[in-house]
Formats: sequence, structure tokens, C-alpha cells
Amino acid sequence: MKKWMLAGAAALTIALPAISPAHAEYKAEHRGGTMRLVARSAAGTLDPQINYTLQYWQIYQGLYDGLVAFKKANGTDGFTKVPDLAEAIPEPTNDGKTYVFKIRKGIKFANGQDLTVKDVVASLQRIFKVSSPTAGGFFSVIVGADKCLADAKSCTLEGGVTGDEAAGTVTINLTQPDAEFMDKLALPHAAILPANAPAEDAGSNPIPGTGAYFVQSYDPNKGMTMARNPNFKVWSEDAQPDGYPDVIQYDFGLTDEAEVNAVMNGEADWMFDQPPTDRLGEIGTKYKDQVYLNTLTAWWYAPMNTRLAPFDNIKARQAVNYAIDRKALVNLFGGPVLASPVCQVLPPGFPGHEDYCPYSKDPGTKWSAPDMDKAKQLVEESGTKGQKVTVIAEDTAVSKSIGVYLQSMLKEIGYDAEVKPISPNIEFTYIQNTNNKVQISVTQWYQDYPAASDFLYILFGCESFKEGSDSSINISGF
Amino acid sequence: MIFALLQRIAQMLFVMFGISVLVFLIFFATPGTDPAARIAGRNASPEVLEAVRRSFGFDQPMYVQYLTMMKKIFITGDLTSFVNRGWKVVPAVMDTIPVTLSLVFGAAILWVVFALIIGIVAAATRGSWVDKTLMMLGLIGISMPVYWLGEVMNLLSQNRYHDTWIFSWVPPLGYKNFSDDPKGWFLTLVIPWITLSILYIGLYGRVLRAAIVESLQEDYIRTARAKGLSETRILLRHALRTSLVAFVTLFGLDFGALVGGSALLTEVVFGLQGLGKLTYDALLNLDLPIIMTTVLYASFFVVMANAVVDLLYMLLDPRVRTA
Repeated sequence: MKKWMLAGAAALTIALPAISPAHAEYKAEHRGGTMRLVARSAAGTLDPQINYTLQYWQIYQGLYDGLVAFKKANGTDGFTKVPDLAEAIPEPTNDGKTYVFKIRKGIKFANGQDLTVKDVVASLQRIFKVSSPTAGGFFSVIVGADKCLADAKSCTLEGGVTGDEAAGTVTINLTQPDAEFMDKLALPHAAILPANAPAEDAGSNPIPGTGAYFVQSYDPNKGMTMARNPNFKVWSEDAQPDGYPDVIQYDFGLTDEAEVNAVMNGEADWMFDQPPTDRLGEIGTKYKDQVYLNTLTAWWYAPMNTRLAPFDNIKARQAVNYAIDRKALVNLFGGPVLASPVCQVLPPGFPGHEDYCPYSKDPGTKWSAPDMDKAKQLVEESGTKGQKVTVIAEDTAVSKSIGVYLQSMLKEIGYDAEVKPISPNIEFTYIQNTNNKVQISVTQWYQDYPAASDFLYILFGCESFKEGSDSSINISGF
Repeated sequence: MIFALLQRIAQMLFVMFGISVLVFLIFFATPGTDPAARIAGRNASPEVLEAVRRSFGFDQPMYVQYLTMMKKIFITGDLTSFVNRGWKVVPAVMDTIPVTLSLVFGAAILWVVFALIIGIVAAATRGSWVDKTLMMLGLIGISMPVYWLGEVMNLLSQNRYHDTWIFSWVPPLGYKNFSDDPKGWFLTLVIPWITLSILYIGLYGRVLRAAIVESLQEDYIRTARAKGLSETRILLRHALRTSLVAFVTLFGLDFGALVGGSALLTEVVFGLQGLGKLTYDALLNLDLPIIMTTVLYASFFVVMANAVVDLLYMLLDPRVRTA
């Protein structure tokens, strides 16, 4: 997932409902009150099957449920999948192509409607009817998805998703086995909504869900109020725990500086945006009691276009890898508490990550220092010395400073480099389009679900390359 | 009179048409703006992109898209945002008007009162140290960028001295409705008012002083002196009055522009959800429907303010009336 508004690996926070110890006493004691969250701006449509931003995926955790969910727990415990609206996570049959889910009974939507098999079937169809961003990517593996992608309106997923109301089961057939299908079902795009939810983007009108809270009011210019879902009863502490606050008030409109001030002054409990780097010192010392660190698995990277000079030359690419001072970049991001250097795609702590770093002064498992001599030598050998390179960065403090660093580094190893910061809202689409001929850029990738393929397959798969499109994340068709 | 009015309306329509076409074309000429790709998020398949694009009407010819958008703004009023889909733009803009008006009116009162005082005092004491100090202060006021001043004010009032007696009264940033909480409304706006008005106090004070000094050289002032009028009366009644022409011209332009959204930086820094902030967010998000609506609204105000200024001229300066 790409996050439109930058948020860092850490945020100023008080305990969120999902991440606190679950002792009964503690719970009773902390129950009640209003929790105030602040963010720079709203993050688009409220429709959980369409919105694709970290900002709203966070709040969907307490608003909606899927058939399965990621366990509401700290750290890597949160990578575990647990049954949510389904009674259990089914074992696949039919060579891994068929799953039969038994739907829990007695669960109600926030509007009082009972959750039924019909709602589950309709919601899975709705992924295609509303052209969910991941309909083609994640869910095309369901039988009948090809027809739904071609003609969304008449989507039935015939043969793919069938409900048996008497037995209370939903059967999903896949065209091929998919080891990550449960991960995909746990994402908000596969949230179960009432069958009568509109068959188009619901936009700013909240759709009732089954979570502990529901959206009471929403104004993209001002904020969102979430209150306790009156029809909610805990059925699984792991999948959808009860929350502490009675009301969650999410206000939009403050700058990141003002958000930090609001949290410091006790006017807000948590901020979404990345705290400005010049405030980190103060946050880490004077206000350290108010800081809670929760790791986000994300990867900042500088994609080099393997089809454009000079980076169509492997030696030129290696030179950049050897020359980058990863420690300097970590400091630009806010220091070793908030980030760590890697020489690979998968972030530390992520499934499949193994320490490894060939691009270092002394190659081994960890990065130690840049090797400028080797980099300069590689540039000489590649014959690309003196070529013009433009670095595209986002016009945000961190991204811009990384861009400027890359510029100076590229100059040092012999290129004629310049840096162009562009609006963070278009940078990500801009760098993907082959028409814009981007040689190197600064961008980042956040996990959708904890599996290596969510990084490797999507960033480097052939399906992710579409010439001349703003949606082509495998930028150079590597 | 009627002819002048019609002329104004024609001018306004022309300006609004020109601006809207420009905004429209710039949007579609900018790379990376395809809202379908941004809504559909990363790695959307071509079928999904196509479906989303169709739902926005991007498969239609350019002029059809333009006309549809104008129809949705002016006739049906149901234009929705490209980014926060389903969010109606016209009511959203209407919602922001009280915020912007509160900010701009309050600041305008401050800057008119203080600029008058500074201009008159400086002109009356021209050449003295009082005049020089006031003019220097004015220059400092003009030189301070409003977003910087705003951030400094925030740093002082929300952070460094938030808990001391000087700033403990300052409420959290953000707007409070006058009808819900008049006191809160006033308190949250005090600092934004001051911040926004400082530039204008400096500017208007200097302009007014120069205008008064110039008009004091005029023949009619000599006549007034010859009649035996007191210096105070000459200054306030004769020199000031004609000098206000420049003042009012400036005021009309600035006020119109501010109401139309130019208080953008002040609104952003203080988290006031006014028209400027709406425009700012829309620009960041490349949300064409909102940009279009706010720009049209702003141009309407600027042209309107100019018309009002012309009327005021007639009241202030007898020479314009006969001309």
C-alpha cells in the first residue's frame, strides 16, 4: 500500500484500544471518555472496500470486520490471522482451491441488521461492483472474477462464491491455490458490509459495519466522529476487541507542527502525520512519557530505472548502492530509533527478511559504511560518468532532504545531478508513468499484509508494469 | 449607472470564464493527475482503472467534461470531489464562508483602525522620531511573511509559553462557531486576527502617510489654511479625506482577495477550516472540482470588491462624482 500522507514509523500516541493489555480490571478502569485523534487532512472516501490509505485502514480496524482478521496485538503477534466473522479459519479442500467458511451467528451491524450469509456473498461481489483497487490484483483469483472485472455491474462471482443459508456457510472457489488468500480476506477491502450497501463508491456516507464503533458523522474538511456501536458484543477478543473510549473524535486540519503541540498540551491523544524532524528532540526528551513506539513495516527506497541511462547500466546501479550512506539517510528520517538501514527490499522483522548486505565497505550481514572508492571506480568502468541525472522527490521535509542527499552523492561519484521535489500527492503517480522518464526517485512502500510477496511480487511483478500508465509500480518493467 | 453595472457583470463573467478554462486546462496538462490512478491506489489493474475513470466521466471529450462541471456547479449544485468522493463541493464551500469572513472581518477592523492611527500620527509628526519609528515598524510588519509570523505565534502561544500567564488563555487551534460558543470564537481568532492584520497595518499606514503628506501640498489645503482653519481640522477633514482614496482602493482589492481565499496561509497555520484552507488542501490533492469552485468564488469576490470600491470613490472624492 502507498500511503498518501506521510506517516513515520512512530507516532505520538496514547494507548489505542487495539494495543493495550486486555485485563478485565484495566479495561473497566480505562473505559469511557473521548479520544481525540488529529491529522492534516482527510484521506478520501470512507468506503472500506475502496479506500486504500493507511490513515483509514487504521480506523477500519474498529469499524469493520472481514471473515478473518489479523490478531489485534503488538509487534509480530499482529501478523497472526484469526477467525473474525467466520467461526474458524477453514482448511482448504479441492487441492487448495476451495474454502468453506461457517459464519458466526448473532452478530449485528451498527444499524441493527443481522449479519447473514447473504451479506457475506454480496460483500465479496461488491469488491468488483465498486471496482475496488485490489479487485484485479488480490481477488482475481476467485472463480468468476474475470467476468466481474470485465463487467462490474452484473457481477455475480458465479461458481466462485456461494452461500448456503440453511447451513450458515459460504464457499469460496479459487482458480488456483493461493497461500495468501487469508491475508487478503483480512484486508479492509474484503470487509463484510450489509447486502443492501450501495453498489457504487459510498463516498462520504458511512456504511454500517460490525465493529466496536460506527461512524456517527463525517465531514472531509473538519473531521469524523465515531461512537460505540450499540449492537456490538465481543465475539472474539483477538479479532474485534471492545474499545476503551466511548467516542473517538478524529479532527482534520492542523499542520504537523500544530499536531505535535496539541498532543503535548494534552488537547489531542494521538497524531497521524509524521512529527517534523526538528521536533523529535523535544519529543524524545521532555515528552518521552507520552511516546509509544509501534513498528510499521515500510520500506523507503530510491527506484532506479533500468531502461534509462545511466541506470540501464548495472555498474552504475551498483555504484549508487555502494555510495549511499545509509546511516545518513536514517538520520534524515529521525535517527536509529525510527528507522534502520537495509540493503534489500524486505524491512527488518518482516517475514522473509534475512540480514544481508553486499553493498557496504565490508560486505556481510550488516551495512557498515559507504565505499566511495569502489563506487567511483564502477562509474568509471560503466562509462556513464558525467551524465545528467534528475532525482524526483516528494516535497516534504524528509523526502526532499533525502533527494538533496542523493544529489550530492551522485555528484560526488561523477554524475551531473539535480533534484526536483514535487507535490507529495502527485509524486507517486508521476514517477510510475513511463512517459515522465524518471531516472531515479525517492519513494516508499508500506505493507498491505505481512508476506514477502506483498513487496517482491507487487513491486517487481510483470503485472505491475503498464507502459504510459500512472499505475505501474514496477516502474521500469524490471 | 445601469450601464456601469452591466459592464461590471460582463467583466466578471469574462474573468470567471477565462479563469475556469485556464484551471481546467492546467489540471489536465499536469502529469500524474489522473484521479482514477490515485483513487484506485497502487497497482490497480487496467480494468479497474478504466472503470473508475469511466465513473469520473474522463472518457468524455474535454469540452463535455468542462460543460458538465459548470452545469454541476451553477445549475444542479451537486458537483462532488475527486478525492473525497461523494463529498458535495458547493455546500462544502458554503460551509467555509463564515470561517473566512470571521477571520477577514476581524482582521480588517484591526488593520483599518491601526493603519488610520499610524498614518495620521506619522503624517502629523512627519520628520520627527515618532514618524520614523512608526514607519520603521510598518516596514518590519510588511516584511514578515504571514506563515512565518503565524508559526512563531503558535510556537510562543501553543508551545514555549503555553502554560504561562501570558498565553494560558489561548485555546487549542481550530475554529469554534460563533453561535455555539461566542467567547471561544473570539479567543481562537484573536491571534489569527493579529497575525493577518500586521502586514496590512504596516502597508496601509505607510500608504496613508504618503498620501496625506502629498495632499498637504495641494492648493486646496493652502486655501483652507488661508481661511484660518485649525491644523487638526485641515488634517482630518481635508487632507485625510482625499488621501483615503488610495486607502480605499487598496482595501477593496485586499479585502476582496482575502474573502475570496487569500487568507490561505493564515488559515492553514492556525487550522481554521476556511475557504483558503479548503483551496490549499484541494491544491495539494489536485482536487479539480474544489479548486474550480473556490477559484470561481474568489474571482467573483475580487471583481465585486472592485465595483464597491468604485462606488466608494464617488462618496469620498467630489471630483470623481462630476467626472
